[in-house]
Amino acid sequence: MAKDVLIVAEHLEGQVTPSTLELISAGRGLADSMDEQARVLVLGHRMEQLAQHLAGYTVEVLLADHPALAEYAGDAYVQAVRGIVESMRPRVVLVSHTSQGYDLAPALAGAMDLPLVTNGLAVAFEGDRLRVLRRILNEKVQVEVEVRSERPIVVTLRPGSVKPQGTGRGMQSVTPVPVTIDPSAVRVTFVRMERPQVQDIDLSAADIIVSAGRGIQKKENLVLIEQFAKAIGGVVGASRPLTDMDWLPKTRQVGQSGKTVRPKLYVACGISGAMQHVAGMKDASLIVAINTDPTAPIFEVAHVGFVADVLKLLPATLKELKA
Amino acid sequence: MALNVVVCLKQIPNPDLQFQIAADGKDIRRETLNYKLNGADEYALEEAVRIKEKQGGRVVALTLGPKRTEPMLREALAKGADEAVRVTYDEPAAFDVGKNARILAAAVRTLPHDLVLTGVQSDDYVNSATGGLLAGILGLPHASVVTRVAFAGAGLEVACELEGGLQRVVSLPMPALLTIQFGANTPRYAPLPAIMKAARQPIKELGPSALGLTSWDSVALPYAFEVTGLAPPAAKGRAEMITGSVDEQAKRLAQLLKEKGFVRR
Repeated sequence: MAKDVLIVAEHLEGQVTPSTLELISAGRGLADSMDEQARVLVLGHRMEQLAQHLAGYTVEVLLADHPALAEYAGDAYVQAVRGIVESMRPRVVLVSHTSQGYDLAPALAGAMDLPLVTNGLAVAFEGDRLRVLRRILNEKVQVEVEVRSERPIVVTLRPGSVKPQGTGRGMQSVTPVPVTIDPSAVRVTFVRMERPQVQDIDLSAADIIVSAGRGIQKKENLVLIEQFAKAIGGVVGASRPLTDMDWLPKTRQVGQSGKTVRPKLYVACGISGAMQHVAGMKDASLIVAINTDPTAPIFEVAHVGFVADVLKLLPATLKELKA
Repeated sequence: MALNVVVCLKQIPNPDLQFQIAADGKDIRRETLNYKLNGADEYALEEAVRIKEKQGGRVVALTLGPKRTEPMLREALAKGADEAVRVTYDEPAAFDVGKNARILAAAVRTLPHDLVLTGVQSDDYVNSATGGLLAGILGLPHASVVTRVAFAGAGLEVACELEGGLQRVVSLPMPALLTIQFGANTPRYAPLPAIMKAARQPIKELGPSALGLTSWDSVALPYAFEVTGLAPPAAKGRAEMITGSVDEQAKRLAQLLKEKGFVRR
Protein backbone atom coordinates (compact mmCIF):
# COMPACT_ATOMS: atom_id res chain seq x y z
CA MET A 1 0.00 0.00 0.00
CA ALA A 2 1.09 3.53 -0.68
CA LYS A 3 1.93 5.60 2.35
CA ASP A 4 0.48 8.83 1.09
CA VAL A 5 -1.69 11.13 3.12
CA LEU A 6 -4.86 12.30 1.41
CA ILE A 7 -6.20 15.58 2.75
CA VAL A 8 -9.81 16.37 1.91
CA ALA A 9 -10.14 20.13 1.44
CA GLU A 10 -13.30 21.83 2.58
CA HIS A 11 -14.82 24.88 1.02
CA LEU A 12 -17.96 26.80 1.73
CA GLU A 13 -19.50 29.24 -0.73
CA GLY A 14 -16.37 29.32 -2.86
CA GLN A 15 -13.95 29.90 0.02
CA VAL A 16 -11.43 27.48 1.49
CA THR A 17 -12.34 26.96 5.15
CA PRO A 18 -9.61 27.92 7.68
CA SER A 19 -9.51 24.37 9.07
CA THR A 20 -8.39 23.11 5.64
CA LEU A 21 -5.11 25.02 6.01
CA GLU A 22 -4.60 23.44 9.44
CA LEU A 23 -5.31 20.05 7.91
CA ILE A 24 -2.67 20.64 5.23
CA SER A 25 -0.17 21.49 7.92
CA ALA A 26 -0.99 18.33 9.91
CA GLY A 27 -1.05 16.17 6.78
CA ARG A 28 2.34 17.41 5.59
CA GLY A 29 3.82 16.70 9.02
CA LEU A 30 2.45 13.18 8.92
CA ALA A 31 3.65 12.54 5.36
CA ASP A 32 7.11 13.98 6.07
CA SER A 33 7.51 11.60 9.01
CA MET A 34 7.00 8.69 6.60
CA ASP A 35 9.04 10.18 3.76
CA GLU A 36 5.93 10.23 1.68
CA GLN A 37 3.70 12.73 0.05
CA ALA A 38 0.66 14.63 1.22
CA ARG A 39 -1.92 15.39 -1.43
CA VAL A 40 -4.89 17.69 -1.14
CA LEU A 41 -8.15 16.65 -2.73
CA VAL A 42 -10.48 19.40 -3.88
CA LEU A 43 -13.99 18.23 -4.74
CA GLY A 44 -16.40 20.52 -6.49
CA HIS A 45 -17.39 22.00 -9.80
CA ARG A 46 -15.38 24.73 -11.49
CA MET A 47 -12.99 25.00 -8.57
CA GLU A 48 -9.76 25.49 -10.58
CA GLN A 49 -8.98 28.82 -8.97
CA LEU A 50 -9.42 27.51 -5.45
CA ALA A 51 -7.26 24.48 -6.33
CA GLN A 52 -4.52 26.76 -7.68
CA HIS A 53 -4.67 28.76 -4.48
CA LEU A 54 -4.19 25.62 -2.37
CA ALA A 55 -1.28 24.51 -4.56
CA GLY A 56 0.51 27.57 -3.15
CA TYR A 57 0.73 25.70 0.14
CA THR A 58 3.38 23.46 -1.48
CA VAL A 59 1.20 20.43 -1.70
CA GLU A 60 0.12 18.63 -4.81
CA VAL A 61 -3.54 19.25 -5.41
CA LEU A 62 -5.91 16.72 -6.92
CA LEU A 63 -8.96 18.28 -8.48
CA ALA A 64 -12.11 16.20 -8.71
CA ASP A 65 -14.53 18.12 -10.87
CA HIS A 66 -18.13 17.03 -11.41
CA PRO A 67 -21.43 18.91 -11.61
CA ALA A 68 -22.85 16.64 -8.88
CA LEU A 69 -20.17 18.00 -6.53
CA ALA A 70 -21.05 21.68 -7.07
CA GLU A 71 -22.66 21.83 -3.63
CA TYR A 72 -21.77 19.52 -0.77
CA ALA A 73 -24.16 16.61 -0.34
CA GLY A 74 -23.28 13.52 1.64
CA ASP A 75 -23.56 10.62 -0.74
CA ALA A 76 -22.15 12.22 -3.91
CA TYR A 77 -19.08 13.28 -1.94
CA VAL A 78 -18.73 9.85 -0.34
CA GLN A 79 -18.93 8.26 -3.79
CA ALA A 80 -16.32 10.58 -5.26
CA VAL A 81 -13.86 10.25 -2.37
CA ARG A 82 -14.39 6.51 -2.32
CA GLY A 83 -13.30 6.18 -5.96
CA ILE A 84 -10.17 8.22 -5.31
CA VAL A 85 -9.28 6.36 -2.11
CA GLU A 86 -9.71 3.04 -3.92
CA SER A 87 -7.35 3.98 -6.72
CA MET A 88 -4.81 5.86 -4.61
CA ARG A 89 -4.85 3.64 -1.49
CA PRO A 90 -3.50 6.30 0.90
CA ARG A 91 -2.40 5.34 4.37
CA VAL A 92 -4.45 8.10 5.97
CA VAL A 93 -7.42 10.19 4.86
CA LEU A 94 -7.59 13.47 6.77
CA VAL A 95 -10.85 15.40 7.10
CA SER A 96 -11.73 18.46 9.20
CA HIS A 97 -13.95 17.83 12.21
CA THR A 98 -16.58 20.29 11.03
CA SER A 99 -20.28 19.91 10.24
CA GLN A 100 -19.33 18.90 6.72
CA GLY A 101 -16.42 16.75 7.88
CA TYR A 102 -18.43 14.70 10.30
CA ASP A 103 -21.07 14.21 7.68
CA LEU A 104 -18.49 12.88 5.22
CA ALA A 105 -15.80 11.03 7.19
CA PRO A 106 -17.87 8.49 9.17
CA ALA A 107 -20.11 7.74 6.19
CA LEU A 108 -17.03 7.12 4.05
CA ALA A 109 -15.52 4.86 6.72
CA GLY A 110 -18.82 3.00 7.11
CA ALA A 111 -19.37 2.54 3.39
CA MET A 112 -15.80 1.36 2.70
CA ASP A 113 -15.36 -0.60 5.95
CA LEU A 114 -12.39 1.54 7.02
CA PRO A 115 -11.02 2.34 10.48
CA LEU A 116 -12.03 5.76 11.82
CA VAL A 117 -10.83 8.08 14.58
CA THR A 118 -12.55 11.43 14.91
CA ASN A 119 -12.05 14.79 16.62
CA GLY A 120 -8.30 14.34 17.06
CA LEU A 121 -6.00 17.07 18.36
CA ALA A 122 -2.76 15.54 17.13
CA VAL A 123 -1.89 12.60 14.96
CA ALA A 124 1.38 10.73 14.42
CA PHE A 125 2.70 7.38 13.26
CA GLU A 126 4.67 5.18 15.57
CA GLY A 127 5.85 2.26 13.53
CA ASP A 128 2.75 0.85 11.86
CA ARG A 129 0.43 2.29 14.47
CA LEU A 130 -1.37 5.59 14.07
CA ARG A 131 -1.60 7.42 17.39
CA VAL A 132 -4.31 10.00 17.86
CA LEU A 133 -4.64 12.30 20.83
CA ARG A 134 -8.20 13.21 21.80
CA ARG A 135 -10.03 15.12 24.52
CA ILE A 136 -13.15 13.64 26.05
CA LEU A 137 -15.66 14.20 28.87
CA ASN A 138 -16.07 17.93 28.45
CA GLU A 139 -12.34 18.43 27.83
CA LYS A 140 -11.52 17.08 31.27
CA VAL A 141 -9.73 13.92 30.17
CA GLN A 142 -7.12 13.37 27.50
CA VAL A 143 -7.02 10.01 25.78
CA GLU A 144 -4.56 8.52 23.36
CA VAL A 145 -5.72 5.80 21.00
CA GLU A 146 -3.80 3.63 18.57
CA VAL A 147 -5.08 2.17 15.35
CA ARG A 148 -3.33 -0.39 13.20
CA SER A 149 -4.72 -1.43 9.85
CA GLU A 150 -3.89 -2.56 6.35
CA ARG A 151 -6.57 -0.22 5.13
CA PRO A 152 -6.61 3.56 4.82
CA ILE A 153 -7.41 5.10 8.21
CA VAL A 154 -9.92 7.95 8.20
CA VAL A 155 -9.11 10.66 10.74
CA THR A 156 -10.90 13.92 11.49
CA LEU A 157 -8.98 16.72 13.20
CA ARG A 158 -10.55 19.32 15.42
CA PRO A 159 -10.36 22.86 14.00
CA GLY A 160 -7.91 25.04 15.89
CA SER A 161 -5.69 22.18 17.08
CA VAL A 162 -2.90 22.58 14.51
CA LYS A 163 -1.16 25.78 13.38
CA PRO A 164 -1.59 26.47 9.69
CA GLN A 165 1.61 27.16 7.77
CA GLY A 166 1.96 30.12 5.44
CA THR A 167 2.01 29.69 1.69
CA GLY A 168 5.23 28.20 0.44
CA ARG A 169 7.45 29.61 -2.28
CA GLY A 170 7.21 26.83 -4.80
CA MET A 171 3.87 26.38 -6.49
CA GLN A 172 2.88 22.76 -6.84
CA SER A 173 0.81 21.33 -9.61
CA VAL A 174 -2.92 20.81 -9.83
CA THR A 175 -3.78 17.42 -11.27
CA PRO A 176 -7.30 16.63 -12.41
CA VAL A 177 -8.51 13.24 -11.24
CA PRO A 178 -11.33 11.32 -12.85
CA VAL A 179 -14.62 11.22 -10.94
CA THR A 180 -17.27 8.65 -11.60
CA ILE A 181 -20.60 9.27 -9.99
CA ASP A 182 -23.56 7.01 -10.49
CA PRO A 183 -26.44 9.51 -10.57
CA SER A 184 -28.95 6.87 -9.45
CA ALA A 185 -26.95 6.51 -6.22
CA VAL A 186 -27.04 10.23 -5.49
CA ARG A 187 -29.98 10.52 -3.14
CA VAL A 188 -29.16 13.58 -1.09
CA THR A 189 -29.69 16.76 -3.08
CA PHE A 190 -28.86 20.34 -2.23
CA VAL A 191 -31.89 22.64 -2.02
CA ARG A 192 -30.67 26.00 -0.74
CA MET A 193 -28.49 27.83 1.75
CA GLU A 194 -30.13 29.76 4.58
CA ARG A 195 -28.48 32.67 6.32
CA PRO A 196 -29.23 33.87 9.84
CA GLN A 197 -31.41 36.96 9.85
CA VAL A 198 -29.53 39.69 11.61
CA GLN A 199 -31.71 42.14 13.47
CA ASP A 200 -29.69 42.43 16.61
CA ILE A 201 -26.42 43.91 17.79
CA ASP A 202 -23.34 42.54 16.06
CA LEU A 203 -21.55 40.66 18.80
CA SER A 204 -18.35 40.41 16.78
CA ALA A 205 -18.04 44.21 16.81
CA ALA A 206 -18.26 44.53 20.61
CA ASP A 207 -15.22 45.42 22.74
CA ILE A 208 -16.61 43.96 25.92
CA ILE A 209 -18.74 40.82 26.09
CA VAL A 210 -20.25 39.29 29.19
CA SER A 211 -21.42 35.80 28.29
CA ALA A 212 -23.74 33.57 30.25
CA GLY A 213 -23.84 29.79 30.34
CA ARG A 214 -25.86 27.11 32.08
CA GLY A 215 -24.31 28.17 35.40
CA ILE A 216 -26.78 31.04 35.63
CA GLN A 217 -29.43 28.36 36.23
CA LYS A 218 -32.57 30.37 35.44
CA LYS A 219 -33.63 32.70 32.66
CA GLU A 220 -34.55 35.32 35.27
CA ASN A 221 -30.87 35.54 36.22
CA LEU A 222 -30.05 37.05 32.83
CA VAL A 223 -31.05 40.37 34.39
CA LEU A 224 -27.95 40.13 36.56
CA ILE A 225 -25.74 39.44 33.53
CA GLU A 226 -27.28 42.45 31.76
CA GLN A 227 -26.70 44.69 34.79
CA PHE A 228 -23.10 43.59 34.99
CA ALA A 229 -22.54 44.06 31.26
CA LYS A 230 -24.02 47.54 31.49
CA ALA A 231 -21.78 48.46 34.41
CA ILE A 232 -18.67 47.72 32.37
CA GLY A 233 -20.00 49.00 29.03
CA GLY A 234 -20.39 45.57 27.49
CA VAL A 235 -22.99 43.50 25.70
CA VAL A 236 -24.46 40.12 26.60
CA GLY A 237 -23.44 36.96 24.81
CA ALA A 238 -24.25 33.33 25.55
CA SER A 239 -23.11 29.77 25.20
CA ARG A 240 -25.11 27.39 23.07
CA PRO A 241 -27.42 25.83 25.68
CA LEU A 242 -28.93 29.24 26.45
CA THR A 243 -29.78 30.09 22.86
CA ASP A 244 -31.08 26.54 22.37
CA MET A 245 -33.49 27.16 25.24
CA ASP A 246 -34.43 30.51 23.66
CA TRP A 247 -33.27 32.48 26.69
CA LEU A 248 -31.39 34.69 24.25
CA PRO A 249 -31.62 35.03 20.46
CA LYS A 250 -29.33 32.92 18.28
CA THR A 251 -27.45 36.10 17.31
CA ARG A 252 -25.94 36.17 20.81
CA GLN A 253 -24.39 32.73 20.61
CA VAL A 254 -20.60 32.63 20.78
CA GLY A 255 -18.90 29.54 19.40
CA GLN A 256 -18.29 27.33 16.43
CA SER A 257 -21.90 27.35 15.30
CA GLY A 258 -22.42 30.96 16.34
CA LYS A 259 -20.22 34.05 16.36
CA THR A 260 -16.44 34.18 16.53
CA VAL A 261 -15.47 37.15 18.69
CA ARG A 262 -12.20 38.89 19.62
CA PRO A 263 -13.21 41.51 22.18
CA LYS A 264 -10.85 43.33 24.55
CA LEU A 265 -12.63 41.73 27.48
CA TYR A 266 -14.63 38.52 27.63
CA VAL A 267 -16.28 37.53 30.89
CA ALA A 268 -17.48 33.91 30.85
CA CYS A 269 -20.17 33.49 33.51
CA GLY A 270 -21.05 29.91 34.38
CA ILE A 271 -19.69 28.58 31.09
CA SER A 272 -17.85 25.26 31.29
CA GLY A 273 -15.78 25.85 28.16
CA ALA A 274 -16.75 23.09 25.75
CA MET A 275 -14.64 23.20 22.60
CA GLN A 276 -17.55 24.43 20.55
CA HIS A 277 -17.74 27.56 22.71
CA VAL A 278 -13.99 28.10 23.15
CA ALA A 279 -13.49 28.04 19.37
CA GLY A 280 -15.47 31.28 19.21
CA MET A 281 -13.79 33.30 21.99
CA LYS A 282 -10.28 32.02 22.68
CA ASP A 283 -8.64 35.00 20.95
CA ALA A 284 -10.15 37.64 23.23
CA SER A 285 -7.43 39.90 24.71
CA LEU A 286 -8.51 39.34 28.31
CA ILE A 287 -10.67 36.41 29.37
CA VAL A 288 -12.16 36.30 32.86
CA ALA A 289 -13.92 33.07 33.79
CA ILE A 290 -16.30 32.44 36.67
CA ASN A 291 -17.36 28.86 37.34
CA THR A 292 -18.11 26.70 40.37
CA ASP A 293 -16.21 23.72 38.92
CA PRO A 294 -12.44 24.14 39.40
CA THR A 295 -11.80 21.54 36.68
CA ALA A 296 -13.94 23.33 34.08
CA PRO A 297 -11.95 23.64 30.83
CA ILE A 298 -12.81 27.35 30.58
CA PHE A 299 -10.00 27.97 33.11
CA GLU A 300 -7.54 26.70 30.53
CA VAL A 301 -8.24 29.47 28.07
CA ALA A 302 -9.02 32.16 30.66
CA HIS A 303 -6.37 34.58 31.88
CA VAL A 304 -8.04 35.17 35.22
CA GLY A 305 -10.26 32.61 36.92
CA PHE A 306 -12.70 32.66 39.82
CA VAL A 307 -14.02 29.42 41.29
CA ALA A 308 -17.28 30.93 42.45
CA ASP A 309 -21.02 30.97 41.97
CA VAL A 310 -21.61 33.67 39.39
CA LEU A 311 -24.95 34.49 41.03
CA LYS A 312 -23.07 35.53 44.17
CA LEU A 313 -19.87 36.95 42.69
CA LEU A 314 -21.50 39.33 40.19
CA PRO A 315 -23.79 41.11 42.72
CA ALA A 316 -20.84 41.47 45.11
CA THR A 317 -18.67 42.85 42.32
CA LEU A 318 -21.39 45.30 41.24
CA LYS A 319 -21.46 46.58 44.80
CA GLU A 320 -17.68 47.00 44.74
CA LEU A 321 -17.81 48.86 41.44
CA LYS A 322 -20.32 51.35 42.84
CA ALA A 323 -18.30 51.87 46.01
CA MET B 1 -47.70 7.50 5.77
CA ALA B 2 -47.02 5.60 8.96
CA LEU B 3 -43.31 5.47 9.68
CA ASN B 4 -41.05 3.12 11.57
CA VAL B 5 -38.58 5.32 13.41
CA VAL B 6 -35.55 3.93 15.22
CA VAL B 7 -33.87 6.38 17.57
CA CYS B 8 -30.42 5.46 18.89
CA LEU B 9 -29.78 6.62 22.44
CA LYS B 10 -26.61 6.62 24.51
CA GLN B 11 -26.25 6.73 28.25
CA ILE B 12 -23.28 8.84 29.34
CA PRO B 13 -21.70 9.90 32.62
CA ASN B 14 -22.91 13.37 33.54
CA PRO B 15 -20.19 15.50 31.88
CA ASP B 16 -20.49 18.22 34.54
CA LEU B 17 -18.83 15.87 37.01
CA GLN B 18 -15.16 15.69 37.83
CA PHE B 19 -13.41 12.57 36.62
CA GLN B 20 -10.64 10.41 37.94
CA ILE B 21 -8.49 8.06 35.92
CA ALA B 22 -8.67 4.34 36.78
CA ALA B 23 -5.54 2.69 38.18
CA ASP B 24 -4.67 0.97 34.89
CA GLY B 25 -4.97 4.28 33.02
CA LYS B 26 -7.34 2.76 30.44
CA ASP B 27 -10.64 4.19 31.62
CA ILE B 28 -12.12 6.65 34.06
CA ARG B 29 -13.16 5.43 37.50
CA ARG B 30 -16.79 4.49 37.11
CA GLU B 31 -17.87 3.36 40.60
CA THR B 32 -19.29 6.69 41.68
CA LEU B 33 -20.54 8.15 38.40
CA ASN B 34 -24.13 9.02 37.77
CA TYR B 35 -25.39 8.44 34.26
CA LYS B 36 -27.88 10.27 32.07
CA LEU B 37 -29.30 10.31 28.57
CA ASN B 38 -26.87 12.06 26.22
CA GLY B 39 -27.87 15.69 25.55
CA ALA B 40 -28.25 15.59 21.76
CA ASP B 41 -30.10 12.26 22.01
CA GLU B 42 -32.85 13.97 24.02
CA TYR B 43 -33.54 16.06 20.93
CA ALA B 44 -33.33 13.01 18.66
CA LEU B 45 -35.88 11.21 20.84
CA GLU B 46 -38.21 14.21 20.87
CA GLU B 47 -37.93 14.54 17.08
CA ALA B 48 -38.75 10.83 16.68
CA VAL B 49 -41.85 11.14 18.86
CA ARG B 50 -43.02 14.28 17.05
CA ILE B 51 -42.61 12.56 13.69
CA LYS B 52 -44.73 9.67 14.93
CA GLU B 53 -47.39 12.02 16.26
CA LYS B 54 -47.56 13.80 12.92
CA GLN B 55 -47.14 10.94 10.46
CA GLY B 56 -48.31 7.96 12.47
CA GLY B 57 -46.14 4.93 13.05
CA ARG B 58 -43.88 3.58 15.75
CA VAL B 59 -40.77 4.69 17.61
CA VAL B 60 -38.23 2.15 18.78
CA ALA B 61 -35.61 3.40 21.26
CA LEU B 62 -32.38 1.47 20.74
CA THR B 63 -29.29 1.48 22.90
CA LEU B 64 -26.03 -0.37 23.27
CA GLY B 65 -24.82 -0.86 26.80
CA PRO B 66 -24.98 -2.57 30.16
CA LYS B 67 -28.05 -3.09 32.34
CA ARG B 68 -27.63 0.37 33.88
CA THR B 69 -29.06 1.81 30.63
CA GLU B 70 -32.54 0.47 31.48
CA PRO B 71 -33.77 3.57 33.36
CA MET B 72 -32.78 5.63 30.31
CA LEU B 73 -34.82 3.35 28.04
CA ARG B 74 -37.80 3.61 30.41
CA GLU B 75 -37.46 7.39 30.26
CA ALA B 76 -37.67 7.08 26.44
CA LEU B 77 -40.79 4.90 26.74
CA ALA B 78 -42.37 7.42 29.12
CA LYS B 79 -41.65 10.22 26.64
CA GLY B 80 -43.38 8.44 23.79
CA ALA B 81 -41.25 5.59 22.42
CA ASP B 82 -43.34 2.48 21.74
CA GLU B 83 -40.65 -0.10 22.27
CA ALA B 84 -37.23 -0.22 23.91
CA VAL B 85 -34.39 -2.43 22.76
CA ARG B 86 -31.08 -2.93 24.52
CA VAL B 87 -28.14 -4.50 22.73
CA THR B 88 -26.40 -6.27 25.59
CA TYR B 89 -22.83 -5.25 24.67
CA ASP B 90 -21.78 -4.36 28.19
CA GLU B 91 -18.19 -3.16 27.82
CA PRO B 92 -18.33 -0.25 30.30
CA ALA B 93 -15.93 2.07 28.43
CA ALA B 94 -16.64 1.12 24.78
CA PHE B 95 -14.18 3.65 23.37
CA ASP B 96 -14.13 2.26 19.84
CA VAL B 97 -16.92 4.02 18.01
CA GLY B 98 -16.30 1.84 14.95
CA LYS B 99 -17.06 -1.35 16.87
CA ASN B 100 -20.08 0.21 18.59
CA ALA B 101 -21.50 1.37 15.26
CA ARG B 102 -20.98 -2.02 13.59
CA ILE B 103 -22.90 -3.75 16.40
CA LEU B 104 -25.59 -1.07 16.38
CA ALA B 105 -25.94 -1.38 12.59
CA ALA B 106 -26.52 -5.12 12.94
CA ALA B 107 -29.24 -4.34 15.50
CA VAL B 108 -30.91 -1.73 13.26
CA ARG B 109 -31.06 -4.36 10.47
CA THR B 110 -33.30 -6.49 12.69
CA LEU B 111 -35.79 -3.62 13.11
CA PRO B 112 -38.09 -2.15 10.47
CA HIS B 113 -36.80 1.37 9.79
CA ASP B 114 -37.96 4.18 7.51
CA LEU B 115 -35.99 6.65 9.53
CA VAL B 116 -33.02 6.22 11.87
CA LEU B 117 -32.21 9.11 14.19
CA THR B 118 -29.18 9.70 16.40
CA GLY B 119 -27.94 12.70 18.34
CA VAL B 120 -25.24 14.72 16.58
CA GLN B 121 -22.62 13.69 19.13
CA SER B 122 -22.28 12.10 22.53
CA ASP B 123 -21.05 14.52 25.17
CA ASP B 124 -18.72 11.95 26.73
CA TYR B 125 -16.54 10.89 23.79
CA VAL B 126 -17.49 13.65 21.30
CA ASN B 127 -16.85 11.54 18.21
CA SER B 128 -19.80 12.76 16.10
CA ALA B 129 -19.36 9.50 14.24
CA THR B 130 -22.02 6.93 15.15
CA GLY B 131 -24.74 8.34 12.87
CA GLY B 132 -22.48 8.71 9.83
CA LEU B 133 -20.98 5.26 10.34
CA LEU B 134 -24.45 3.72 10.59
CA ALA B 135 -25.49 5.44 7.36
CA GLY B 136 -22.36 4.20 5.59
CA ILE B 137 -22.69 0.65 6.88
CA LEU B 138 -26.42 0.40 6.22
CA GLY B 139 -26.22 2.20 2.87
CA LEU B 140 -28.73 4.85 3.92
CA PRO B 141 -28.75 8.42 2.63
CA HIS B 142 -28.03 10.73 5.52
CA ALA B 143 -27.85 14.31 6.72
CA SER B 144 -25.98 15.60 9.77
CA VAL B 145 -26.45 18.33 12.37
CA VAL B 146 -30.14 18.55 11.51
CA THR B 147 -32.10 21.39 13.10
CA ARG B 148 -35.39 21.05 11.19
CA VAL B 149 -37.20 18.13 9.62
CA ALA B 150 -40.01 18.53 7.11
CA PHE B 151 -41.78 15.95 4.98
CA ALA B 152 -41.90 16.69 1.26
CA GLY B 153 -43.60 14.21 -1.04
CA ALA B 154 -42.25 10.74 -0.28
CA GLY B 155 -39.06 12.12 1.21
CA LEU B 156 -37.61 14.61 3.62
CA GLU B 157 -36.37 18.16 3.47
CA VAL B 158 -34.02 18.94 6.32
CA ALA B 159 -31.87 21.88 7.45
CA CYS B 160 -28.28 21.08 8.43
CA GLU B 161 -26.35 23.49 10.60
CA LEU B 162 -22.95 24.65 9.37
CA GLU B 163 -20.34 26.79 11.09
CA GLY B 164 -21.13 30.44 11.69
CA GLY B 165 -24.92 30.06 11.67
CA LEU B 166 -25.38 29.03 8.01
CA GLN B 167 -27.92 26.28 7.29
CA ARG B 168 -27.77 23.97 4.31
CA VAL B 169 -31.16 22.61 3.27
CA VAL B 170 -31.08 19.23 1.54
CA SER B 171 -33.70 16.76 0.41
CA LEU B 172 -33.41 13.00 0.69
CA PRO B 173 -35.63 9.96 0.22
CA MET B 174 -36.49 7.42 2.92
CA PRO B 175 -35.26 5.19 4.42
CA ALA B 176 -32.75 7.71 5.71
CA LEU B 177 -30.57 8.52 8.69
CA LEU B 178 -30.45 11.92 10.39
CA THR B 179 -28.20 13.14 13.19
CA ILE B 180 -30.16 15.65 15.26
CA GLN B 181 -28.62 18.83 16.63
CA PHE B 182 -29.10 20.34 20.08
CA GLY B 183 -31.99 22.79 20.11
CA ALA B 184 -33.82 21.19 17.16
CA ASN B 185 -36.99 21.12 19.28
CA THR B 186 -38.06 21.43 22.90
CA PRO B 187 -37.92 18.02 24.57
CA ARG B 188 -41.02 17.21 26.63
CA TYR B 189 -41.26 16.06 30.19
CA ALA B 190 -42.74 12.64 30.75
CA PRO B 191 -46.20 12.73 32.36
CA LEU B 192 -46.47 10.74 35.59
CA PRO B 193 -48.92 8.09 34.29
CA ALA B 194 -46.55 7.42 31.38
CA ILE B 195 -43.65 7.03 33.81
CA MET B 196 -45.70 4.53 35.82
CA LYS B 197 -46.64 2.64 32.68
CA ALA B 198 -43.06 2.61 31.36
CA ALA B 199 -41.84 1.08 34.61
CA ARG B 200 -43.83 -2.05 33.76
CA GLN B 201 -43.03 -2.27 30.06
CA PRO B 202 -40.66 -5.01 28.93
CA ILE B 203 -37.27 -4.11 27.46
CA LYS B 204 -36.24 -6.29 24.57
CA GLU B 205 -32.66 -7.55 24.72
CA LEU B 206 -30.51 -8.40 21.73
CA GLY B 207 -27.45 -10.53 22.46
CA PRO B 208 -24.68 -11.50 20.06
CA SER B 209 -26.53 -14.54 18.68
CA ALA B 210 -29.54 -12.41 17.73
CA LEU B 211 -27.15 -10.37 15.58
CA GLY B 212 -25.46 -13.37 13.99
CA LEU B 213 -22.37 -13.21 16.19
CA THR B 214 -20.80 -15.90 18.37
CA SER B 215 -19.68 -13.28 20.90
CA TRP B 216 -19.09 -9.53 21.17
CA ASP B 217 -15.42 -10.24 20.50
CA SER B 218 -16.21 -11.73 17.12
CA VAL B 219 -17.32 -8.46 15.49
CA ALA B 220 -15.34 -8.25 12.24
CA LEU B 221 -13.15 -5.16 12.37
CA PRO B 222 -10.72 -4.16 9.61
CA TYR B 223 -8.29 -2.77 12.20
CA ALA B 224 -6.85 -3.16 15.68
CA PHE B 225 -7.85 -0.46 18.15
CA GLU B 226 -6.30 0.23 21.50
CA VAL B 227 -6.63 2.89 24.15
CA THR B 228 -3.05 3.46 25.25
CA GLY B 229 -3.83 5.78 28.11
CA LEU B 230 -5.98 8.40 29.75
CA ALA B 231 -4.54 11.43 31.50
CA PRO B 232 -5.64 14.78 32.85
CA PRO B 233 -5.21 17.23 29.96
CA ALA B 234 -1.82 18.87 29.71
CA ALA B 235 -2.44 22.34 31.11
CA LYS B 236 -2.04 24.73 28.22
CA GLY B 237 -1.54 27.74 30.42
CA ARG B 238 -3.94 27.95 33.28
CA ALA B 239 -5.74 31.05 34.39
CA GLU B 240 -4.39 33.00 37.32
CA MET B 241 -6.85 31.77 39.94
CA ILE B 242 -8.28 34.27 42.41
CA THR B 243 -9.16 32.56 45.65
CA GLY B 244 -10.79 33.74 48.87
CA SER B 245 -14.30 34.49 50.02
CA VAL B 246 -16.86 35.85 47.57
CA ASP B 247 -16.31 39.37 48.96
CA GLU B 248 -12.56 39.08 48.55
CA GLN B 249 -12.98 37.73 45.04
CA ALA B 250 -15.40 40.54 44.20
CA LYS B 251 -12.87 43.14 45.38
CA ARG B 252 -10.21 41.62 43.15
CA LEU B 253 -12.51 41.45 40.13
CA ALA B 254 -13.66 45.04 40.58
CA GLN B 255 -10.05 46.13 41.00
CA LEU B 256 -9.01 44.28 37.85
CA LEU B 257 -11.81 45.83 35.81
CA LYS B 258 -10.90 49.30 37.04
CA GLU B 259 -7.17 48.83 36.45
CA LYS B 260 -7.73 47.67 32.91
CA GLY B 261 -10.02 50.65 32.26
CA PHE B 262 -13.25 48.72 31.72
CA VAL B 263 -15.27 50.71 34.22
CA ARG B 264 -16.65 54.06 33.20
CA ARG B 265 -16.73 56.53 36.05
